[in-house]
Amino acid sequence: MKKFLSDPILGVIILLLLVGGVASFTVDVFFTLQNFTNFLSGSYFVMLLAMGMTVVLISGGIDLSIGAVMALCAGIVAKLALQGMSVPLVIVCALAVGAFVGCLNGLLVTVVGLPDFIATLAMSAFATGILFIWTKGTPIVGYMDETYKQIGGLAPIYRGVTVPMVTAIVIAFALGAMLKKTKFGVHLFSVGSNRLATRQSGINVTKIRILAYVISGVCAALSGIIMAGRNTTVPPDLGGGYEVLAIAAALIGGASLMGGRGRILGAILGEVVLAMTINIINLLGVPSSYQKIFIGGILLLAVLVNQFVISLRTKILMRSTNKKS
Amino acid sequence: MKFKNFFFRSVSITGIPIFGLLIFIVALFQFIVPIFNATVGDYITNLVPVLLLTVGAAIVIIGGSIDLSIGTVCGLSAGITMWTLASGLPTALSILLGIATGAFFGLLNGFIITKFGINDFIATLATLNISGGLLIVLSQATDLYGAESEFFTSLVYGSFFGIPTSFFIAGAIILLMQFLLLKTILGRRIFAMGNSGAAANVAGINVRNVKLATFVLSGTLAGCAGVLLAARLGGVQAFLGLGYEFTAIAGAVVGGVSLAGGRGSAAAALAGGLFIGTLAQGLQLIGVEPIFFGIVSGLALIIGVIFDQKIQDIGQLRSRFDSRVLAQPPRKEGDHG
Repeated sequence: MKKFLSDPILGVIILLLLVGGVASFTVDVFFTLQNFTNFLSGSYFVMLLAMGMTVVLISGGIDLSIGAVMALCAGIVAKLALQGMSVPLVIVCALAVGAFVGCLNGLLVTVVGLPDFIATLAMSAFATGILFIWTKGTPIVGYMDETYKQIGGLAPIYRGVTVPMVTAIVIAFALGAMLKKTKFGVHLFSVGSNRLATRQSGINVTKIRILAYVISGVCAALSGIIMAGRNTTVPPDLGGGYEVLAIAAALIGGASLMGGRGRILGAILGEVVLAMTINIINLLGVPSSYQKIFIGGILLLAVLVNQFVISLRTKILMRSTNKKS
Repeated sequence: MKFKNFFFRSVSITGIPIFGLLIFIVALFQFIVPIFNATVGDYITNLVPVLLLTVGAAIVIIGGSIDLSIGTVCGLSAGITMWTLASGLPTALSILLGIATGAFFGLLNGFIITKFGINDFIATLATLNISGGLLIVLSQATDLYGAESEFFTSLVYGSFFGIPTSFFIAGAIILLMQFLLLKTILGRRIFAMGNSGAAANVAGINVRNVKLATFVLSGTLAGCAGVLLAARLGGVQAFLGLGYEFTAIAGAVVGGVSLAGGRGSAAAALAGGLFIGTLAQGLQLIGVEPIFFGIVSGLALIIGVIFDQKIQDIGQLRSRFDSRVLAQPPRKEGDHG
């Protein structure tokens, strides 16, 4: 019970039940497999971004560049595919660029000592700028073929199973295991909760923080590869605003901006809540112009629920310790 | 020796290093492109709304928080002003309504943050979406252009003694904010809260109210910026203001306002905002294509912040001031308040 209560995803589960409950009463077609695959298929790439963001948030940083990095990697995929490069090579190139930008972010934050907010904001401007120069401001088109349709999830690989779905699940398990089972994961939480104490216990804090940014860069690259297939064109302003959505999903899922808190499953459920909300208001026939207002509202609601859970937990834990003593 | 001391003392005042850099690039551009002088006034007129946002962002950051909603709130204020003006309200009233919109969102931010204890980043991210969404709804419901009011357009396009009116308005507002930050009790409290909220609380400062005040101030400034923006553009589009918040925060930080809180001033933020803006304008005149601006602004951000940090380090090491004094505006001898 205690363990369950201190799990950061408790809040988002409550929220999920709340939103799902409202939906089941108001919309008939909500609880159909068709509808679920529908709104989930549009959210895998944000899930990937949110997972990377969660890792950085746990380490006590923030990465505002992932939206732009995602767009840059999508641009690289499209450009290289147009030049006839084979698909695995294209993917490796995009991943390498993502890792490189992440590494650069990490170095700026740790070695140069810039505030994470500023360093990644500048990196976001860089990445967008490079894509703009590269594309000369016009969308990249004409690279789509059957393989990229599959990568983008427009064509399934086996019945209902799509590449984005598999990627999201694999990455989720990999990152989840990394956070829970490996030494690096434990160090990551430790760096996020108290950097100084971690350094003084002999852990290479700089390395861990850089790696956190590399992971988020790679996640952004994966997301970009999928985006290139899904969007069928790569306009230069593709990435605008996705970093904010990813941060929102990670925070709804129980990650903390203070560091040292967060779960991969939380990030996924957070994005599901966001996608679900948009899906519901679409089904209800609310004009899409109202979407942003609802996203803002759900964000506030999520934080309130999370806070309520934390205060409840503190109360219950206090009571149980009082009983013991 | 005396000059050396004076030099290190002055460069360690927040904003001075970047102001020096600003003068340097202005001179450089003037040297390369002789028409720079003639066009810069025009350009700064365009920049005025963002400069107001920068000062607003600086106030909140000095208080140790962050306000992401200013960009879209500015857009919404512009929308509200345009809407009320187009529907026939008196000009003064619609300007007031625009500013009130900003103040309301500032109050909302402050209320959510202080009352529910929600993280400022998340709370203002939420109000960013809400205000941006409201502008989209508003712009779809009505046409936000075509308001005819001479007084309104004269806010930006009029001039006294050859200097655009908006300079006077923005200058007065920024001067007021500088005075408020450095010379009033509230300003002192904002710095104290930014340095350490807990210590300020122990010292008997009502931290919640001071925090609320910083958000109301930045919201109000966003409202003023929105009114000026509407006057300049003559029409408002659905996504107006989106992304301005990052430009504003970047300007403030380049000017030497520390994201950790407790350091900075309105003038420093102004210098930072002008630096980024002038750089963009100068490069455009030199003939750099606009598609390079993203890279240049990213570079300016990094270089500006590193430059400021290094100068501050040197200043702190060399001057006889200690870091505690430097963290705050210079105070007079015998002033223990």
